[in-house]
Amino acid sequence: MTAKPKIAIAWLGSCGGCDEAVVDINKDILKVAEATDIIFWPVALDFKYHHLEALGKGEIALSIINGNVRNSEHEEVAKLIRAKTRVVLAFGACACFGGTPGMANFRSKEDIFNWVYRDAPTVVNPKGNYPQPRSQPNGKELTLPEFYEQVFALNQIIDVDYYLPGCPPPPDLILNAIDAFLEDKLPPKGSTLAPQKALCDSCKRNTTKPRNVEIHDIKRIHEVEASPDICFLAQDIICMGIATRGGCGESCININLPCRGCFGPVEGVKDAGAKYVSALASMLEAEDDKDLKKLVDKIDDLPGYLYRFSLPSSILVKKRK
Amino acid sequence: MAGFEPKLVCFSCKFGWGYLGDEAKIDSQVKNRVPIICSGKVDATHILDAFKAGADGVLILGCSEDNCHYQDGNLEAQKRVYLLQKVLAAYGIEPERVKVELSTDPEGKKIAEAVKRFSEAIKKLGPLGKAEVEVSRVA
Repeated sequence: MTAKPKIAIAWLGSCGGCDEAVVDINKDILKVAEATDIIFWPVALDFKYHHLEALGKGEIALSIINGNVRNSEHEEVAKLIRAKTRVVLAFGACACFGGTPGMANFRSKEDIFNWVYRDAPTVVNPKGNYPQPRSQPNGKELTLPEFYEQVFALNQIIDVDYYLPGCPPPPDLILNAIDAFLEDKLPPKGSTLAPQKALCDSCKRNTTKPRNVEIHDIKRIHEVEASPDICFLAQDIICMGIATRGGCGESCININLPCRGCFGPVEGVKDAGAKYVSALASMLEAEDDKDLKKLVDKIDDLPGYLYRFSLPSSILVKKRK
Repeated sequence: MAGFEPKLVCFSCKFGWGYLGDEAKIDSQVKNRVPIICSGKVDATHILDAFKAGADGVLILGCSEDNCHYQDGNLEAQKRVYLLQKVLAAYGIEPERVKVELSTDPEGKKIAEAVKRFSEAIKKLGPLGKAEVEVSRVA
């Protein structure tokens, strides 16, 4: 009998939702546990880093890594896992593109520290203490991971074999990915294990999308009673579906919320935000400059809309100094 | 800033700018000129790529109002740039570093002048700040 393939599930800079998504495959998790040997999963099982260190090079068949790389601990763990693994799957929007925490790249580390440890109204810090990688309280040395200047997507730190986007990835795509791995049917290295087309392609509201979308006003979803059947763009509500990879199961659309873009760019596109700018510009209906400015200025935090999940992997990556 | 010579990229529409002129002469006067068919063809991605490649400013020369060969490509370019300027500001890039100029210049005599004027404006802003992105850490 051949040994079962060893699997690791790791979290870096993430919220835990991706680990929860693995559990959400429900009873099929038992099938995975049966077919594989889960040797590392800090969220669910009691494993330590030294267990990883003890493994041989390439001993892990598949590592499912969620979360971005924001500090030195994330980098160290990512590199350790890579060295021990044959196939690395970047799992979820944070690992694939940097994710929502990646929007911190619109701020410097200094701005973030000043707000979190000094200026936020709930902070009391009279001595002005900021976390340090090394400190010596009572003569003892304590260490903390170093907080980096920016958020990184996983492939900016280690070589990544496959991508499964989403916030979090849906159960059907997770199972497909695991099945493809177990049956040795994975596509070429570098592939995203999700459909290649935009969300609009599978959106049930697509039939109500006008041939030429004309946006005359900008409305936010909480400001209106949106129709549950009509294309959001036709209702003057910004929906990222036109520039976002499909495969999520339209979970937001189904509860009458526009797409926010967690599946990242469609196949072949590097920067979904830039593509959306071009598309949105042609949809905005303005008589003149004044009209246009009025319309655009109504969009609250356009960069946030465009790069909600993908700023670290966008063309310009982060704020200039 | 003394001695600062901005690196610029100039997209110019072939329908309105320089189609009767000597291209080689225009190119000898203007570095990094990208002749295009309609300013509406300039995608936001092209502009971001230019900044990523080290440009300090991007100038788009489109046809004058009501003179677009494709009806309203020039106005589309203006809309696109106005949206993109909002995005650039979040990246710490001054919106003035992208400009759309609409006019008609078949001989292409005004291209060098337009670039010079733009260059003077960019000189006042100084070089584009570095993102100081730590180089890829991939081993």
